[in-house]
Amino acid sequence: MLLYTLKRLLQGIVTVWFIATATFIAMHAVPGDPLANERATTESIRRNLEERYGLDRPVTEQYFVFLGNMLRGDFGISFTQENRRVNDIILENFPVSATLGILAVAFAAFGGVLWGALTAIYRNRLPDLIITFLVILGISVPSFVVAALGQLVLVDINAWLGYSLLPVAGWGSIRHMIVPSMVLGLGTMAYLTRLMRSSMLEITSSDFIRTARAKGLPPTRIFLKHQLRNAILPVVTVLGPAIAAITTGGFVVELVFAIPGLGRSFVQSVQQLDYTVIMGTTVFYGAFLVFMVIVVDLLYGLIDPRVRLE
Amino acid sequence: MSVVERFAPADFEPALIERRVQALSRPSLSYWQDAVRRLRGNWRATASLGVVIGLVAFALAGPWLWRVDPSVQDLDQLSLGPALPSTARIVEPSVPWAGVTTEPTQSGVAVTNLRLAAPATTQTVRLVWEPVIDAAGYAIYRNIYDPGSERTLGLPIGDVLGANRASYEDQLDLDPRRYWYSVVAVDANLAEQTEYTTLAVDAVRAVSPEEAVARGWAQNAAALGVGDTITLPFHPLGTDYLGRDMLARLMYGARVSLFIGVVAPVLFVLIGIVYGSIAGFVGGRLDQMLMRFAEFVIALPFLLFMILFKIAFGIGPGESGVIPMLVALVILGWPATARLVRGQILQIRQEGYVSASQLLGARTGYLIFRHMIPNTLGVILVTLTFAVPSAIFTEAFLSFIGMGVAPPTPSWGSMANEGVRTMLSHPHELIFPAVFISVAVLAFNLLGDGLRDALDVRMRGRE
Amino acid sequence: MTGSPVLDAPAVLDVADLHVEFDTYGGVVQAVRGASFSVHAGKTLAIVGESGCGKSVSVQSIMGLIPMPPGRITRGTALLDGVDIIRQKIVNGQDVRGNRVGMIFQDPMSALNPTMRVGDQIAETLQVHRGYSKRKAFDRAVEVLTLTNIPEAEKRARQYPFAFSGGMLQRAMIAIAIACEPAVLIADEPTTALDVTIQAQILDLLKALQARNGMAIVLITHDLGVVARMADEVAVMYAGEIVEKGSVDDVFYRAAHPYTLGLKAAMPSSTTSKSEGLRPIEGTPPDLFAPPTGCGYFARCPHAMRLCGPSHPFRFDVDPGHEALCWLHHPDAPATAPELHRRGQA
Repeated sequence: MLLYTLKRLLQGIVTVWFIATATFIAMHAVPGDPLANERATTESIRRNLEERYGLDRPVTEQYFVFLGNMLRGDFGISFTQENRRVNDIILENFPVSATLGILAVAFAAFGGVLWGALTAIYRNRLPDLIITFLVILGISVPSFVVAALGQLVLVDINAWLGYSLLPVAGWGSIRHMIVPSMVLGLGTMAYLTRLMRSSMLEITSSDFIRTARAKGLPPTRIFLKHQLRNAILPVVTVLGPAIAAITTGGFVVELVFAIPGLGRSFVQSVQQLDYTVIMGTTVFYGAFLVFMVIVVDLLYGLIDPRVRLE
Repeated sequence: MSVVERFAPADFEPALIERRVQALSRPSLSYWQDAVRRLRGNWRATASLGVVIGLVAFALAGPWLWRVDPSVQDLDQLSLGPALPSTARIVEPSVPWAGVTTEPTQSGVAVTNLRLAAPATTQTVRLVWEPVIDAAGYAIYRNIYDPGSERTLGLPIGDVLGANRASYEDQLDLDPRRYWYSVVAVDANLAEQTEYTTLAVDAVRAVSPEEAVARGWAQNAAALGVGDTITLPFHPLGTDYLGRDMLARLMYGARVSLFIGVVAPVLFVLIGIVYGSIAGFVGGRLDQMLMRFAEFVIALPFLLFMILFKIAFGIGPGESGVIPMLVALVILGWPATARLVRGQILQIRQEGYVSASQLLGARTGYLIFRHMIPNTLGVILVTLTFAVPSAIFTEAFLSFIGMGVAPPTPSWGSMANEGVRTMLSHPHELIFPAVFISVAVLAFNLLGDGLRDALDVRMRGRE
Repeated sequence: MTGSPVLDAPAVLDVADLHVEFDTYGGVVQAVRGASFSVHAGKTLAIVGESGCGKSVSVQSIMGLIPMPPGRITRGTALLDGVDIIRQKIVNGQDVRGNRVGMIFQDPMSALNPTMRVGDQIAETLQVHRGYSKRKAFDRAVEVLTLTNIPEAEKRARQYPFAFSGGMLQRAMIAIAIACEPAVLIADEPTTALDVTIQAQILDLLKALQARNGMAIVLITHDLGVVARMADEVAVMYAGEIVEKGSVDDVFYRAAHPYTLGLKAAMPSSTTSKSEGLRPIEGTPPDLFAPPTGCGYFARCPHAMRLCGPSHPFRFDVDPGHEALCWLHHPDAPATAPELHRRGQA
């Protein structure tokens, strides 16, 4: 197990290196000189940047400077916001996005397992049909539409109630977190529901469930200890990439609900062509996702004993 | 035993062999025949197929049938909801109106008999009333809602001094809708009375012949007579905030969204097939290296790199930004298919029927075409069908955050983006593109589901 | 008809006139068309037949393991201690499944929960049916595991199924089935997926456990070698019906049905010379969507008579405790098929 963990971590580091390199290449493929953007830089920033990044030196040298900085955890300073270190920007905004993402994933996971199991149990009966219909809507309606509509509905509810039940935008308290994380998690929840359903159906017709029935076990016990426990495995596998999808999808929710997260700052930095922030955020996000997937894989090993001895 | 009576000695003679053969009652089905049968039986999938074909027809044939330029702005009908064609009446160019003065004969605090002196048009509304003795003047208000009892009179549009003033003309440019005009008497101290009189007025669109020609609604001013009605450009689904026809934009947007949504997956699936097959066949170190590279590409945070690529390729003025997005999607999408195909090939290689075929003397080419490809085809088809809604989604998403196709090129996503801003007042601008995106994504998803169920080998012969 | 008159004790499990059918896309399949069999304490009944003859469906339907829909038991009773367990799941205040009747299946590799320890899976039955505590149930589970001749039972009980070999998994399954000391053990092709050497071990194990517990065993198999080794009574099944039933000696040495004769002839033996070749039974089993009104074996029987096609044969008593479903036992039938044993012959 330990060896497996080390191996995965090593792979992860190499992957992050690849991401950083790809980002570097992409950024330097941009036509034009980033510093030529007069609007963005003042003289002092310009001098700082040239010095720091050797922007007048050949590209290969710049690459190693870049890597060196990255290894030290230094993402540099912002192009457009004077004297703001990219690290600070990330540290300030990331926790917000992370909280949003974690809540959304939790919401999606719980919901997905619950609804998926229900549709499998009540297969082809009314609960199944209703939930399946909602699920299909959930995966078809674009997330940004859901976000916009969600906000609209909230405004209406608040107006109808006469007071603000839940804040419509902004961030700061638990009450702020509820609606955005629900909206963000909805699409993934729909997907997980379908996954759970097919997994449950497959498990239900499997041999060991037949054995469990032949043992005369009560249905609840069969459901919890035999069906659920095995059916949940594919869902956990998917959880890693799902976290990835949710954190990147967070952009839209952050924009619509005016949440000061990393996604929103990334979009803004893109619109303003703030290159250091763009690069720093990309590499940071990339690294974060890589390690999230590793964590989830290790978690999977805890649940499925077959993986442990690999 | 009564048995003895029932049988004759002839019954015990040996039965003829021909009579004993019993025909099979179930016809044998090939893999593809079975798949087609199951697909046809799945109503959701067939309905989705119909929808997909309909959307493609909408995109391709639509602009031929509805020949309206999606970038032309109809400034007179901004943010119009779906409606029947509007009309305008031809009137004389407006002449100044002297107004009406009447000596007040009644006392009281509010005017009476508030009415129109002439039919109300968008060019001018002429109000007349019975004045009151005690007034020093009158203030006139206009509102788009009924003031009701709360006294929300609305916009003050003017006042007249003098008790005998009995008329007012509103020449501010009006919309063709209902307005509520209120007249309030003003006393000597110029304070307004609490009571007021209200009249609901429906302003009808009216233009002079010259204006009609200027706005492109008619060709020849001389041919238009006063009192004629001309029809404005028809927008069955309304217009957006810049006055562009929604239906045309949706059709052209369909072209963009479906083009990207279908072409990108086809391309990256093709690349993935080639890449994955090579890796799967050759195996060994080459396989390891190829797959390692593919995994790296998969590890790149998708959305971030989509955006990066878009910036990197740059969008020059006048370009639509479609090709860069297509390229970016392909670059980021191929590894997933490659992995899938490689996995399938590895799995099939180990199957018993491949070894059996080899034992019977089959050559590599035969194995590939007769055994491996048909078994991979199912997975590939399903991947393709699911990749399309994902690509449509991504394009819509990127366009929504402004990282997609450049304006004025329409795409469903960018239309949705613009629609969000006017969501509360003109929801149709958001609803139409959102519905189209949802329907397209839904249809492809259901079709993919149906294909997967139909092609799944394990479900063969089992329901 | 119950067992041979030699045994005076009533049968532990008595199945009478069982009919099971399924709804499928092609219509209704009559999987079991009137099967009757019984088994006594301490004895083994083997149900033999080829794939698709309905033997698994029979026992699984009695145990309630067939999904209903699309399956249906349209007729028949299965009496355990006098109570019909098709309609009632509790006999004398005790659960039937897992408690009074245990069952083991064909493929042990997939028959156990991969995410649960083997010992816990055995202990489960004890917790549910006997109300044992977790601790006590686990200890008892280890005991039962030892009974099945698994070495280092304590250590094995804490392991997961993937660490077991096929033979060991089957032993574990047997442990699960007998943990509550059932009156009947149903073994559905328990050795089909195992090596021949392991087969022998498992069968011996079953016999030893039977001697110990006095339980009745219903053994489903298509392998006549297994039947010869294990069975006291044999029921031969074909196309959803029991075509011959009797003691193992009766069926093997005094076969009274052409199908049984065909099965025996098809078995290769060490004395078959190369030039003789194998002797399969020609043809295929009948389509059970539209089951034949007459004898199910009519299309393939080398001794078929005219009436065999349209008329369904009666159940004839060939000898005491030995019956066959074949018109050749009709008093008016000609004496064709000399290898067929008839009433009164030696």
